[in-house]
Amino acid sequence: MKKIFFPIIFVLSIFSMGCYKTILDTNPNYAVSSSTMWNTDNLTDLGMAGVYQTLRLGYSSGGSATSGLVLFDTYAMDRFAYTGQDYYNSNGNSDDGIVNGTATTSSSQFTKTWQYLYEGVSRANDAIYNIPIQSPSVVTKKAKYVAEAKFMRAYFYFRLNQVFNGIPVYLTPTPYNQLNHASKSRDSVWLVIIQDLTDAINEPNLPAKYAAGDPNYGHATKGAAYALRGMVYQYQNKYDLAIADFQSVQSSGFALYSTGNPNTDYKMLFKAANEQSPEMIFSMQNIQQAGGWGGNAGFLCGTRTSYGGNGWDWYSPSNELVDLYENKDGSKFNWDTYIPGYTTMTPAQREVYFIRDGATAAELTAASTRGADITKYLAVGNEARIAAVYSNRDPRLSQSVITPYSSYLGLSSTAGTTAANYFLRWPYRNSASPTFDLQADKTAYCLYWYRKFVAEGIEYGATGADRSSNPTDFPLIRYVDVLLRWAECLCEKSGVTQPALDLVNLVRTRAGMPSLQTANVALPTYVSSQADLRNRIRNERRIEFPNEGVNYFDEVRWGTWKALKFTQANGAANGPKQIFGTLTGPQYVYSGDQVLTWPVPSSVVQITNGVVAATPGWIY
Amino acid sequence: MVLCMPMILLAQTKKLSGTVNDENGKPIPQVSISIKNKTVGTQTDESGRFSIEAATGATLVFSSVNYENQESVVGTSSTMTIVLKGKSSDLGDVVVVGYATQKKVNLTGSVSSISAKELENRPATNISSSLAGLASGVFVRQGSGDPRGDGASIKIRGLGTLSSTNVLILVDGIIGSMDGVNPNDVESISILKDAASASIYGAQAANGVILITTKSGVKKKPTLTYNSLFSSTNPSGLPTFINNSVKYMNLINESYINTGGVAQYTPATIQAFANAQAHPNDTTAFGIPNYAAYPNTDWAKAVINSRTLQSHNVSVSGGNENTTYLMSVGYLKNPGLIDNSGLEKYQFRFNLESKISDNITVGTKTFGSLQNLGLASTSNIFNYITQVSPMIYPFYNGRYATSSALGDPVASSQGLKAFSIGSLGSEQVTNLSSTLYAKIKLLKGLVLEPKFNYTAYFDEANTWGNPASSERWNLLTMTQTFAPTLPSALGTGNSFNKTWTYTLESVLRYNTTIAKNHELGALIGFNQYYNNSYSTGISMRGLIDPSVPAINTATTVASNPTGTASDWSFRSVFGRVNYNYKGTYLLEGNIRRDGSSRFGPNFRYGNFPSVSAGWVLTNEPFLQKLKDHNIQSIKIRSSLGQLGNTASGNYQWQATYGTVPYSFNGLTYNGVSQGQIANPDLHWETTNVADIGLDATIFKKFNLTIDWYRRFTKDILFSAPLDLTVGTASAPVGNFAQVLNSGLEFTGRWQDKIGKVNFAISANLGYNYLNNVQQYKGPMIAGWVTDASGNKTYNSNIGAVSSGGSNRILEGHMINEYFLQTVYRGTATYTNSDGTVNPNGGPRDGMIRTPADLTWVTSMKTAGYSFAPVNTVGAGQLNYGDLIYADNNGDKVYGNANDAQFMSVSTTPKYIFGFNVNASWNNFSVNMLWAGAAGFKAYWNQNFYNSVTMIVAGQQSEKIANDHYYFDATNPSNPLNNINATYPRMKSSDNIDNVASDFWFYNAAYVRLKNLQLSYNISPKILGSHLNKFINKASIFLSGENLVTISNSPAPDPEVGATATGYPTMKQYAIGLNITF
Repeated sequence: MKKIFFPIIFVLSIFSMGCYKTILDTNPNYAVSSSTMWNTDNLTDLGMAGVYQTLRLGYSSGGSATSGLVLFDTYAMDRFAYTGQDYYNSNGNSDDGIVNGTATTSSSQFTKTWQYLYEGVSRANDAIYNIPIQSPSVVTKKAKYVAEAKFMRAYFYFRLNQVFNGIPVYLTPTPYNQLNHASKSRDSVWLVIIQDLTDAINEPNLPAKYAAGDPNYGHATKGAAYALRGMVYQYQNKYDLAIADFQSVQSSGFALYSTGNPNTDYKMLFKAANEQSPEMIFSMQNIQQAGGWGGNAGFLCGTRTSYGGNGWDWYSPSNELVDLYENKDGSKFNWDTYIPGYTTMTPAQREVYFIRDGATAAELTAASTRGADITKYLAVGNEARIAAVYSNRDPRLSQSVITPYSSYLGLSSTAGTTAANYFLRWPYRNSASPTFDLQADKTAYCLYWYRKFVAEGIEYGATGADRSSNPTDFPLIRYVDVLLRWAECLCEKSGVTQPALDLVNLVRTRAGMPSLQTANVALPTYVSSQADLRNRIRNERRIEFPNEGVNYFDEVRWGTWKALKFTQANGAANGPKQIFGTLTGPQYVYSGDQVLTWPVPSSVVQITNGVVAATPGWIY
Repeated sequence: MVLCMPMILLAQTKKLSGTVNDENGKPIPQVSISIKNKTVGTQTDESGRFSIEAATGATLVFSSVNYENQESVVGTSSTMTIVLKGKSSDLGDVVVVGYATQKKVNLTGSVSSISAKELENRPATNISSSLAGLASGVFVRQGSGDPRGDGASIKIRGLGTLSSTNVLILVDGIIGSMDGVNPNDVESISILKDAASASIYGAQAANGVILITTKSGVKKKPTLTYNSLFSSTNPSGLPTFINNSVKYMNLINESYINTGGVAQYTPATIQAFANAQAHPNDTTAFGIPNYAAYPNTDWAKAVINSRTLQSHNVSVSGGNENTTYLMSVGYLKNPGLIDNSGLEKYQFRFNLESKISDNITVGTKTFGSLQNLGLASTSNIFNYITQVSPMIYPFYNGRYATSSALGDPVASSQGLKAFSIGSLGSEQVTNLSSTLYAKIKLLKGLVLEPKFNYTAYFDEANTWGNPASSERWNLLTMTQTFAPTLPSALGTGNSFNKTWTYTLESVLRYNTTIAKNHELGALIGFNQYYNNSYSTGISMRGLIDPSVPAINTATTVASNPTGTASDWSFRSVFGRVNYNYKGTYLLEGNIRRDGSSRFGPNFRYGNFPSVSAGWVLTNEPFLQKLKDHNIQSIKIRSSLGQLGNTASGNYQWQATYGTVPYSFNGLTYNGVSQGQIANPDLHWETTNVADIGLDATIFKKFNLTIDWYRRFTKDILFSAPLDLTVGTASAPVGNFAQVLNSGLEFTGRWQDKIGKVNFAISANLGYNYLNNVQQYKGPMIAGWVTDASGNKTYNSNIGAVSSGGSNRILEGHMINEYFLQTVYRGTATYTNSDGTVNPNGGPRDGMIRTPADLTWVTSMKTAGYSFAPVNTVGAGQLNYGDLIYADNNGDKVYGNANDAQFMSVSTTPKYIFGFNVNASWNNFSVNMLWAGAAGFKAYWNQNFYNSVTMIVAGQQSEKIANDHYYFDATNPSNPLNNINATYPRMKSSDNIDNVASDFWFYNAAYVRLKNLQLSYNISPKILGSHLNKFINKASIFLSGENLVTISNSPAPDPEVGATATGYPTMKQYAIGLNITF
């Protein structure tokens, strides 16, 4: 029996080794457990940052169909707008359904927008509910954070209500299996938003504005809450209340960025150096760090001549936008002034004006085959003739758009990844030295390209520039937006008044354009009527905001979207176009007025068994 | 067969040597040889050889466990060859079961056993994929031929749950990976299929258990075995992309114009290609041959092609009274089918057992492997193989190309083959596993077996960019379109991940026989398992020179370092009692109690019991008559028990807040947000399994096994789909559903001899006749309701009670049953007699083919009907050559969500079968193995291959290109018109024809000749006396893998599945050599 004593000890020791501590208690060490969330000052800060991070949902370093919906880098919304187009995506992908007539109630455009914005609501609800009861932070900080979270919740509901026109509202954290509220009406949702913004404004611990360089820069402020509340009042046509709020934005210390140089001020405003200028009321915070910290506007609006050859040029400015930029004296631009007979030619015939000097016989023959009126070609001076069209215009044109025969400081791999000046020429030959043609993804099309938000040269890094983490903060609410809405409200309320003109003129003066006036009827800047002023304010917004994701919402709000987006000035059906007017893809198709209200995603209707009702007019 | 011939007796002993073979000519080791009526004797060695001193005329008796005894009289010759006949039944077979071995005759559970012999001489690169067809009810499917991840997925007895269906794999009793084991080291594989056999593994056994036992040494002098194999590897199926540029450009133009857009290629461009291709060997102004400057590239053939695989194994085994050992080393080089995607694998094993005292034996099973992985990015290759055109030449004179056609997008991804060389450096995977064990005899019949195992897996990659991989050329203008990456833009990175586990186990067993006829066995055990994995990754950018790639030489951080860690653990006790009366009445009970870290403290433990019984009818005295009717044995067995399944995520019972990136004032600021919703009530998933089986031997030659099973799984761990209103947090895992899964299995084996040919034919079939979700989120209710104001509306709660898309989970339906729109079928009569539009009078096959069809559509719209998903008639919308879907619910909308139908078929095969024939004649033997599956379907609508969408810089298949609708409404006599085509019209973007419908629905059944081999034992005569001195045995063989595939599936490789962009499996032609010294 002694012999078995040793082995028994051995075995018992193995058993006891197993039991000495309970190995079944494991906890994640890559994430915070719900049991400790909000329980420290640090976690309170992190949780609050998490609410803001909703703005980045949809970020994709590869630029997928889910990017640029209604949240992350809203610039992509411009493809549905009057001022922008999407020549590339409309051919290949189906998420342009609202302009192509093929949108369905399960299109990712609608489902992702819904999901991401409600994620924001959910994070804000978590913060609003838990910070007061869980967090050990100082009372003033907690109050400030709750006010910020309310602003954020209001912002998300605002974005939702803008497109879905009435939605379910949740104001407390709600378990996933109890999301059974029916949609509130559009007007009731506005009231919910106003309540949240009013709470934020009434919170004494929420600052009116952060100075540049403040460690809290990027957090919501009272100024932002006033601006957003003014917008809601404007949606409700409550002009006095809106005007009062816009005035409060001004008195909070926000102002236009200007160094007095209209030829560069507009451009410099959208560079990283000025992302904290007093013009930025609320912006999505970007830094140049891979892994989802930066923006990607430059990537999807750049070309093969930016980002070391890696730009994708999905989105481009529309011809209509470029034509809206006035002549320097404030008169309307007209093609026939520069090229007599241009507007009466067919788009195909007009191509001749865009052909480079010294075109080869083959290039001319090819253009002629496409229908260009080759008799108008000047072997020398063809470039100068078209360049003149863009030279005497609102200085914002050359700061927003790359026009033919203008130069763009790019960064292309073909040139050995060094910065060089590229020229938008037609037809494209070669982007390598010494030709330096600006190269698009698809070189068969002659298109305008965005300058705004696209890196110049080595701006975002010398080599291997990170195309999908642009450092510049993306403006979500900009002071010009407030000024022009303020002017709109004044115009709608009282017609042509000097205060309204003054507000528009602030913007025009910064841009180097002559002021609107009612004194001299002979000048092109003379405002003749309320309708005239209304239209001028709208145009001012159109040329001020390209690539900022503002115009689509404006046109829908004004009721002008159908008329302007789907029909060309000459009455022909519209579509993405080359500069001379040839369509590059299918015509836009207006599938009916239901498209003005985005549909509740079909899966939401289904999973709630119809409690969230289907949107009328859409096929479910 | 007894040889007994009168002989002249000479009382003189002489040295006699010989070999003992089985009926297939395979040598039998450990046959004991004795001289009748004497005490002397010997044994055959590993290669069946023996030598003995015996007198002429003496009778030698040959006996071995699995063979019938045979006697032979010593004649004048000094050599003899004996053939032993296998026992007509497998009465003596021993099967490995959980924590024990058992005689097959005494089994009460359902266990399939596969011996090493069934796996040998196969050029298969891993164990898992070679199991196909060998065991009933076991579905083995190799989803990828990528050598770096070509393990097959294994499913036992169909799908029984919505959660993990992973089979538990144990290698010599330790949780492990099947493909971590060298196939040459395997002794046997047991597949435990029912509760009786598997419940000893409790909560991890619900999907079945596979036990792999490796070879150990035997007590004899050392033998050395060398196996070698060379194989030519070829794709078993290739996608057929259009490989004619002119045709391609015309189709692209057709697609865009069809969709309301404009032609993308000018007639001049198309003509230039046509002209140049007429003279492929002429050169361009830059001296490039036309075939490269104006190419017709077949991308599948350019990228996927044939290579040579080789493997070599050496093993030494032996032993003496106290110690036995087996050592083996193996080498496998599988270059794959794509450049630089291969695998080089080195393996070793050391199995040692030593008796250190009368009562104590200690031992180890230690093995490891080192794998070098090719660095080709095959995911990029298969992503971009559909995003490239035949107008690009793959590789010319050291140059990767981009498109040279005017107006084409120019992207570096067009130089597809360069993805094979994108990374320099290495990726190494190391596996190490060591078990130390002891067997301690405590009392007579009472043995204690403690065991400890440590297993580690490391995957390390040190890679950096290859500057040459980014250079691209326009071969027409001979301009560089992309420059080689400058060192300053080159990336370099290290990644590391490690998983380590330990197992502590002790088993105490007791066996005794009471009163001669009562055999009793009992076992109790304790097991503790811990698994920890973590990973880190750093990538930097900006090298001073490509030759200096170490991380510290790089200048900038390309992205934040990554890393994660997680762990999980199990603690269990288990026990078994079995009882056997005279080998006739068999009873067994098992129980296991498991605790898992993956559940919250309140629901941590679960109990998993089973009972089983068997009755061997043929042992009953009153049924002895059966034997007169050629029924040698019949056993009926049945079992009942519970198995478990754990949550697949490690921390799912708690909610977690993960980090999300944000910044304030230009500084990084990690936010946190809720990533997962908690479910503290998460608990065990339980499967109740019943099994009734029959094992029989008839005519002495035919073995039959039949099993019926019923698996009912409740509290299934599943993430129900969330309302989008929740946001982005992932759904909580809950115990949601119940699934019933029932089926039949048959295995039959006929073994016989005709003339000099010995053969065995075996076949198996698994039929899973029921696979139903019994409970989920309530029944589906759909139909017309009338609201208060009298309006009729169609309501369906499918979204609330079901989840999934075109494969859905719903009560009363199969798991992942297909749910698809059905294409409209009309009578083509268009109008009623009164001239009104007839809703049933549309196009016969649902495709708008003629002007009358289109008129019907517009008349229907006028009459208040509408068509989903697109209700507008027009070029980019609904038009000629588009499909209309049926209005199955009668709501006047054709093809909206409520019209989709369940198709009574799913992705899981109902039938799984295997068929195996082997025959031997003298020194030759042939073996053939077929495997297949049927009774399942595939919905396959893959953009750029099996879809009518075609865009610039995107591919299309020949199938669609040659048989799609085209109609020029302005010129009905256009010769290109093809209004009777199978497929819809080509489009540059489509929302209509790519809807998930039964139009793209295929029978996915397939059967495959997995292996065919011919081997030849080189007879000692041929070897000659010189070689015979040190070669015991030698054989050569020819072996083919995946030689024939029969299927109606249009996919290039039906085993991989419905995709044109999967790494195809390999068709192989191998030659090999086995030598034993």
